[in-house]
Amino acid sequence: MSFDNTPFQPRLGVSRRQVLKGMGAASSLPLIGGFAPAFASNSDGRVVVIGGGFGGATAAKYLKRANPNLAVTLVEPARTFYTCPFSNLYLGGLREMSKIAHGYDELRDRYGVEVVHTLAQDLDPDSHTVSLANGDTLHYDKLVLSPGIDIRWNALEGYDEAAAELVPHAWKAGPQTELLRRQLEGMEDGGTFVLVAPENPFRCPPGPYERASMVAHYLSQHKPSSKVLILDAKDNFSKQGLFTSGWEQLYGDSIEWVGLSGDGRVTRVDAENREVETEFGTVHRADVLNVVPPQKAGWIAERAGVTDDSGWVPVKPETFESQQVADIYVVGDATVAAPMPKSGFCANAQAKVAAAAIVASLRGDSAPDPYWSNTCYSLIGPEYGISVAGVYRIQDGVIAEVEGSGGLSPSDASPEIRQMEAEYAVGWYNAICQDTWGTDA
Amino acid sequence: MPHPHRHPTLTRRRLLGSGVGGLLCLGLLSAAPGLLFSSAALASDAWQRLDAAQQVVGDASPEGDGLTLDLPHVSEDGSAVALTVGVDASLDDGDYVESIHLFAAGNPNPEIAVFHLTPLAGKPEVSTRVRLNETQEVVAVARSAEGKVWATSREVRITVSGCLMRGDDVQESLSNPRVRVPDSFSASQPGEIRTLITHPMETGLREGDDGETLPRHIIERFTVSVDGDIAFEAELHQSVSANPYLRFHLAPEASGEAVFEWHDDTGESARETRELNVS
Repeated sequence: MSFDNTPFQPRLGVSRRQVLKGMGAASSLPLIGGFAPAFASNSDGRVVVIGGGFGGATAAKYLKRANPNLAVTLVEPARTFYTCPFSNLYLGGLREMSKIAHGYDELRDRYGVEVVHTLAQDLDPDSHTVSLANGDTLHYDKLVLSPGIDIRWNALEGYDEAAAELVPHAWKAGPQTELLRRQLEGMEDGGTFVLVAPENPFRCPPGPYERASMVAHYLSQHKPSSKVLILDAKDNFSKQGLFTSGWEQLYGDSIEWVGLSGDGRVTRVDAENREVETEFGTVHRADVLNVVPPQKAGWIAERAGVTDDSGWVPVKPETFESQQVADIYVVGDATVAAPMPKSGFCANAQAKVAAAAIVASLRGDSAPDPYWSNTCYSLIGPEYGISVAGVYRIQDGVIAEVEGSGGLSPSDASPEIRQMEAEYAVGWYNAICQDTWGTDA
Repeated sequence: MPHPHRHPTLTRRRLLGSGVGGLLCLGLLSAAPGLLFSSAALASDAWQRLDAAQQVVGDASPEGDGLTLDLPHVSEDGSAVALTVGVDASLDDGDYVESIHLFAAGNPNPEIAVFHLTPLAGKPEVSTRVRLNETQEVVAVARSAEGKVWATSREVRITVSGCLMRGDDVQESLSNPRVRVPDSFSASQPGEIRTLITHPMETGLREGDDGETLPRHIIERFTVSVDGDIAFEAELHQSVSANPYLRFHLAPEASGEAVFEWHDDTGESARETRELNVS
């Protein structure tokens, strides 16, 4: 397993725990019983995790691995979670939806996580309670929020929830991804697929460009006269040089990218007519239009009072506890963790740090000194993979990339290396899903 | 300049050599910030710690309220950080905001830009994109024609995300001038104007592939006139991002012709005209 990137120690000194209990440390963790369901008995503390994606599922699992006596409840409405990583491969025809689907049986059966499939509707940091859509109220000593992203509807003129049913974002995997795939299948040969890419920060920095690649792959197989146009609100994007040269090699001139300085920033969407208008008034008509819209932390984060005026969540880097609300730890895309990107890998790594900090805090210990690693693999073609990797530590109180760590795929790599990286990407996906949900794809 | 240019450091050369270009256009990793600050280093307001800003403020006691400076708390790409500055204080009849000055306290050259406004510019609010070399305070100072002064600052944390590395790109100077004006104006009511032009805004502080310092090459001046009267003018410095973008306002009294001109330091210029329709 290559994900032991945190100083997390899943083994516990049993004797130490017993000593602590004997000294009364455990009794200092109040089990306020009024709300707690029966399964909370005999607990070293109660942790509620909201959100069952990469961050939340990892946090729940690693909390239980570190201390099986914690009562850990995972709240996630969906019984099946579809990952954004590899959802572009579904669009490209390389993978079925069932192969990016993950459930919670392993967390429940093997790790003893209580999984509740309902929506967390509200929470009250003062009383340390979460109210659920099924009518229950959960009490927590520590709360982990892994709320992912929400779309900032109407932040881009004309792009609201109704528009997303006509012009999908597909930036949360599931029905939106399937809608986009159906639209691609229905497109005439010779059509134009237009992808609107947002400014920073947003979920999965290389995602729009991998998507363009996978769509171009699908079109090259089925509709070879079609084009891909990317309209970007940025002048620079993740792995730009690697993408650009990969596009040239695999798809010739069928992918066009227009950046901010070339009037690529879209300021208005007309979903009915599948048209977009740029900042300087150019109107582009699409046969299939995919808008990756401006984003913010998942809405429950705002309810919790942990977001700032940017819409994202500032956290203490040592623990990923909210800077604004005590005992709420936030991990994943919702956080301000730059230079760590908003990736599934980072959510997984951050969740381990938060879990370690929570376990330590509930024992009265200080959190271990954390570090994180991340790799973003992207597929340009089925046998053409690229990556960027980084290792992060805390420097001067903020998260910083360790100098000399990580790096990019070489710009002049052989086809064999590109092919190997495409295989590594699959290996990475299988491994991180195993680490997060304990499930095979 | 209150501080000397410094030679490239080894670190920077290594960065260049490896093609990691996220911040290349910013020139040198900055000179020690201390060099930029005046003796009033312990003063509480950021403008007081910056000589260039102090010179604009002069003897005035600037107000903090009424001047807004909008920047992200954290930016993942220091080569183009979106900035909006505006004065929303109420002014006496006949008074208007005459100039807005922007500074990046932690850049090798702290001056970003000066915007000269007139009553024809309508609403004193300007957006642009700036280069920020590192985490630092951005300072804004505004003056009105009758001598009111405002000053404010915002800290911006700059990160270079591993997922946001990029290569250099080659750009042709003063090409693709773009101007967008409203379809129509109401008389003397401000309408939003956007401009964009291709230009490297080469700082004169960084090396090319051959290891030689690339000469400074920037647009220094941008002017907008309406029927011959100057309405808006911008002095730009190295800390304005490549391909300068400016969003501002015009409030024409009657229909007329607006002329937009960009002048760079080689004497070259570009010109665009637009009809302003007042209905």
